[in-house]
Amino acid sequence: MTMKDLSHAWHPRLGIGCRVRKDENGDTVLLLPEGILRLKGTAAEIIRLCDGERTFADILQAMEAQYPSSNPKQIEQQIGSFLNRLLERRAVDF
Amino acid sequence: MRTPRPLALIAEVTHRCPLHCVYCSNPLELKARDEELPTETWSRVFEEGAELGMLHVHFTGGEPLARNDLIQLVATAHSRLLYTNLITSGIGLNDKKLATLIEAGLDHLQLSFQDGEEKFANWIAGAGAHAHKLALAQIVQQNGRLAFTVNLVVHRHNLDRLESMISFAESLGPQRIEIANVQYYGWAWKNREWLLPTREQVKRSFAVVEQAQERLKGQIKIDFVTPDYYATFPKPCMGGWGRQLMLVDPSGKVLPCHAAAIIPDLHFENVKQKPLRWIWEESPAFRRFRGENWMPEPCKSCERRTLDFGGCRCQASLITGDANATDPVCSLAPTHRLVEERLARANSPASAGPDSTPTPQSAPMWTYRPQPR
Repeated sequence: MTMKDLSHAWHPRLGIGCRVRKDENGDTVLLLPEGILRLKGTAAEIIRLCDGERTFADILQAMEAQYPSSNPKQIEQQIGSFLNRLLERRAVDF
Repeated sequence: MRTPRPLALIAEVTHRCPLHCVYCSNPLELKARDEELPTETWSRVFEEGAELGMLHVHFTGGEPLARNDLIQLVATAHSRLLYTNLITSGIGLNDKKLATLIEAGLDHLQLSFQDGEEKFANWIAGAGAHAHKLALAQIVQQNGRLAFTVNLVVHRHNLDRLESMISFAESLGPQRIEIANVQYYGWAWKNREWLLPTREQVKRSFAVVEQAQERLKGQIKIDFVTPDYYATFPKPCMGGWGRQLMLVDPSGKVLPCHAAAIIPDLHFENVKQKPLRWIWEESPAFRRFRGENWMPEPCKSCERRTLDFGGCRCQASLITGDANATDPVCSLAPTHRLVEERLARANSPASAGPDSTPTPQSAPMWTYRPQPR
């Protein structure tokens, strides 16, 4: 799946064998089979929305509501590329 | 310098293994069954590891399933919120036991294959293991609840078949494929003359891996462990000495990596006598090569020192006889010619090249890893 395929109707969820938790400093970490991604700020918010229930469109809407002064096109572009990077690592599935 | 936090524990729970792979990363001096830590001590190690800030436990061996308390160990690690990874040959696992392990909190399973073809795989493993592994891969695939990595160990005698090995791995339905060149420690060091690939093989393998990565993007993640000796700069071994990882061996000895016990004059502490935190933060062995104070030139003034941390201490010790030396794999190392000489031998027409790949029937020319006594 490539970025242009990222449909608004898809339901992103955490990849199999991936877990989100807080580390000992209270920071959000995404645990993968062979590694760790430290998620800061919005990245941590987005990953919490990848619950397999919400669609990509729902996630965009939630983030737009949270950041009303940001350009929606830019939000979509940034979240899309973030989710694509996670998809390539099989850290999210659709 | 503030001591970094360890991220992961490598729990080498036993050296017992039904396989005898010629490139096993276990030390040449294997720990016997009666030296192995009891369940309670491992439980304490996981607890202390979690308190130190660790996030992952990699269960490895030997074959971790050789321990009959593995399910309990996984459950304990999981209860401390540790991510649990089982690195296994699959021997001793069936669908029922797999379900119990998942119930206990197992997050991920890595199954390694010695080849895509049974006769070669069993020849490398020194055991008829391939068919069992295939059966387990099917069980994992059918179960569908467990993250799954297929690991392919590559070297001189299978790199020419890499494309078909990748297709084979794909057919097993993993989320990840790890293609790992043999690293020359333990039994692989002993057998290095037979395992070191040619420059041509290495060059081709890079192209093969790149193509597969592109083709499988978004479906299967392919990680590639490149061959050390052909690199221009050394690998950041274990993310730096005492910087990210701790390994506890079957007897409780705590090491910064799989191989460090070979370094002379270093005393490694045991979890039976000392708390994990003290070993990580204070023990002389963990402090010995942590940070940059130990570094010789050219590392000391090299801008890459924050990327590769001077490379691998065990490699320096094995090849140059001095664990303090710059990793000889580095093209800037004063002892780099030692690696170049090895490569010249591996690439000379007289060496046992791929054309003369021995068949499983031919007399063993290498040393199989034995069972611990």
